[in-house]
Amino acid sequence: MLDAERIAQIVAEVTSRIVARVGEGQALTETLNETLWWEHERLAKLGDDDQTLAEREFYSDLRRQLPRVSEREQVRLLQQVVHRYAEEIAGHGAGGPGSGPQGHGLPRLRRAPGFSPTAYKLATRVGPPLLSTLLTGLSPRRLLDREAIPKLDQHLRIAGDVHALTRLHERGTLVLAPTHTSNLDSLVLGFAIDKLGLPPLTYGAALNLFGNPLIGRFMANLGGYTVDRRKHDPLYKQTLKEYATVSLEFGQSNLYFPAGGRSRSGAIERRLKKGLLGCSSAAFRNNLVHGRANPRVFVIPCTISYPLVLEASTLIDDWLADAGKARYIIVDDEFSRWERWRDYLRGLLSLDLDIHIRFGQPLDSLGNPVDDEGVSHDPRGRPIDPAGYLEVDGKLCEDPVRDAEYTRELERRILAEFRRENVIHSTHVLAFACFELVRRRRPELDLYRLLGSIGNEQSLGLPEVEDELALVLAELREWARHDRIRLSDTVASAELGEFVRAALRNFGTYHHRPVVERRGIRLHIGDAKLLFYYRNRLDGYGLRGAPTLVHDRRGANHA
Amino acid sequence: MLEQVLAQPGRAAEVSGSTPKVAVLGAGNWGTTVAHLIGLNGFPVWLWARSAELCSEINATHQNSRYLAGLALSPNIRATDDLEQAVRDVDLMFLVIPSQGFRSVCCDLGPLVRPQQIGVHATKGLELGSHKRMSEILLEETCLRQHGVLSGPNIAREICEGKPAGTVMASHFPRVIQRATELLRSKQMRVYANTDVVGVELAGTLKNIIAIAAGMATEMKLGDNAKSLLITRGLSEIARLGVALGADPMTFSGVAGIGDLLVTCASPLSRNNRVGAALARGESLDQAIAALGMVAEGVKAAKIAYELTNTLGLRSPLMHGVYKVVHEQLDPRVALRELMTGATQDDIDPSLFQPADSGPGRGRP
Repeated sequence: MLDAERIAQIVAEVTSRIVARVGEGQALTETLNETLWWEHERLAKLGDDDQTLAEREFYSDLRRQLPRVSEREQVRLLQQVVHRYAEEIAGHGAGGPGSGPQGHGLPRLRRAPGFSPTAYKLATRVGPPLLSTLLTGLSPRRLLDREAIPKLDQHLRIAGDVHALTRLHERGTLVLAPTHTSNLDSLVLGFAIDKLGLPPLTYGAALNLFGNPLIGRFMANLGGYTVDRRKHDPLYKQTLKEYATVSLEFGQSNLYFPAGGRSRSGAIERRLKKGLLGCSSAAFRNNLVHGRANPRVFVIPCTISYPLVLEASTLIDDWLADAGKARYIIVDDEFSRWERWRDYLRGLLSLDLDIHIRFGQPLDSLGNPVDDEGVSHDPRGRPIDPAGYLEVDGKLCEDPVRDAEYTRELERRILAEFRRENVIHSTHVLAFACFELVRRRRPELDLYRLLGSIGNEQSLGLPEVEDELALVLAELREWARHDRIRLSDTVASAELGEFVRAALRNFGTYHHRPVVERRGIRLHIGDAKLLFYYRNRLDGYGLRGAPTLVHDRRGANHA
Repeated sequence: MLEQVLAQPGRAAEVSGSTPKVAVLGAGNWGTTVAHLIGLNGFPVWLWARSAELCSEINATHQNSRYLAGLALSPNIRATDDLEQAVRDVDLMFLVIPSQGFRSVCCDLGPLVRPQQIGVHATKGLELGSHKRMSEILLEETCLRQHGVLSGPNIAREICEGKPAGTVMASHFPRVIQRATELLRSKQMRVYANTDVVGVELAGTLKNIIAIAAGMATEMKLGDNAKSLLITRGLSEIARLGVALGADPMTFSGVAGIGDLLVTCASPLSRNNRVGAALARGESLDQAIAALGMVAEGVKAAKIAYELTNTLGLRSPLMHGVYKVVHEQLDPRVALRELMTGATQDDIDPSLFQPADSGPGRGRP
């Protein structure tokens, strides 16, 4: 993990690269003016806390200086802006007030402590496992009853080629690219990574998570860097990408959620953010250019599948609200309310529900599959040298359009792995079967009307559901045999009656109202939106000929 | 005369002795023409053919008597039946293989190629059964990821006679377009760039179906009004299917779209046009193909388009009509009557205003 000194080196490297890239003259002035405009926009929407006031002061100072200074001075101003962005990304300093003037009267953000090995060790290795440390640490007695202190490690099922991870880590730098369902993901993964004996990963996490009352401190100490999605300044985004690239070049393995945010619909990702994804090929190319040892960057797609999702209600509400009007960042959801955590963990633990983590086919930074030794393969399994894709007439060359195309292919391969390594739980299957029966009955309704039509008393005959379930399970089990999808134990092998009981038990556990509940010989749907949410984990597979209901909507996938 | 006006002064002098840096795979009528164009521009070029006799003929006499009888081929062409020799040292290869033989050549190519190399195909067709585009097959069988497609209104015979023409080079990779263009462009040949690989591939494939219909219309003396209707409604069907498969609708109004469609429907030299005419004369499909002596891609494309439009639920009366005439022995006159009495749609299909999904993948869900 990067210590404070290394982080300072990264910040310096990022700053000098960006300043060099912006160049001088017209472009320089325009870049600074653009930053002023975007940051003014952003700050105008915020309140009057110390932090915001300090930032406003910084930018009004910049605005005053800009028209008066020489070009050389402009370079210095740009350097300050970029350095400030990079420091914030590295040190999550945005939480603190400006710590007074620095240099030419511009306030500087306070440096946060960065990664704390002690906190990490405490969280992952020593004493009770991660979540209990975290939770009890924050709120000693009242948060959880003594008997409910989770032994979460026993509820994580880690599968896939985990040995490849250790071997690849010796041969290059890793980028772990997981699906994103819940804010629990980073915690669960951090724990899994440690369990596998891999060194901690650095990762980008949304700024709002650092402000989360339950886990903010913890995230900062784990070595995350911040991503502030409210900043639209292209210069900020460039700085962020460069930060990720340089940290990879420094050999620091990274964790990205390539979707950019939690899946609102509950469905497996359909589109990824290419910006950060492209950092892996940029780092590979820079490593080759500088002739560094172990230049390769390996991307490991990975899925995290929950039988029940802590924030399901908020997420699906947000998805259903017109995508364009979706709240960009959800700050106040189940994730920041300790009672919900308690209920969730109690439910999970009392029912012996497992969270599945699966590591998929490792890829090189251009999207080619790699074997355990880190050798890239062509589509027919023949070894190839990926550096060749970056060469022209025997020389490595820079070509952003070409690299963007490689990144699109990397995206496509990651999405295919997500789809294949998606672990289906009994809740998903029961929700899918019930939803299909209701939908087929009312084919004339669009999705919103259909969901609206499912009232409190909507019920389905148990035999009808069982018939549908038998067909759904048969098809899923057939697919699983051909490695097209993964199934939890219950879905893979339970006989029908046992399966239904398990699924109903799970649905009755955590959510305010059971998503599906049995009364006599009928199943009642208690929450249509959640039924849809859990069903969506199987959307897009054409299971039982069902149409795809979750269409990719730009911007529907944030925070 | 025209040849003298347009022919590029040979740039070959200083390079003709050196090893070719480009190969053309497939020595049929279009493959030979592509190699000839590159040769005329002064670049030494490998031309690969399966047949050893054809290779000897080309090397000994600079003739390809089977496909381009009477044409004196550029002396910069070196024919070989050894695929490894053809691709070993080149940085770009054109694949000009009939669509149904395309995968098998790609399979042979797989172990021979390197990530540095560029693959450009000029095959207008889809794979039967899988409905895959040629670039998808290339990506499945080889490590050639820097790839592109060459397609456009190019009647090989006219180009060999030195007449002016234009073509489209489509790729997501700027360097692929640049390299291929350097090799092909001349005073006779204009090369237009496009980034819509899916659209250019589908436009080139699907227009062959309409060409069959145009051949029938000509033979049946339906007149120019009918021909115009056929072309415009045909283009609308092509674009509708293309967009559903991920193409950019604008591609169909370009050189590889309407440009290619016009020439195939107008020219009696077009193979698919000739197949249509033969069918309208009452010949059987086998007779028509035998008389041609070459592959008419439209025959297979009609079957594939029929399956695809049915799967996607798209209305395509023209392409369906051609399918029925070609594959179900429907009388062309009955097919015409069905077309003329069917319901009319809006002139401009609203679905074509939706730009293609720029999302992941190569246009196919």
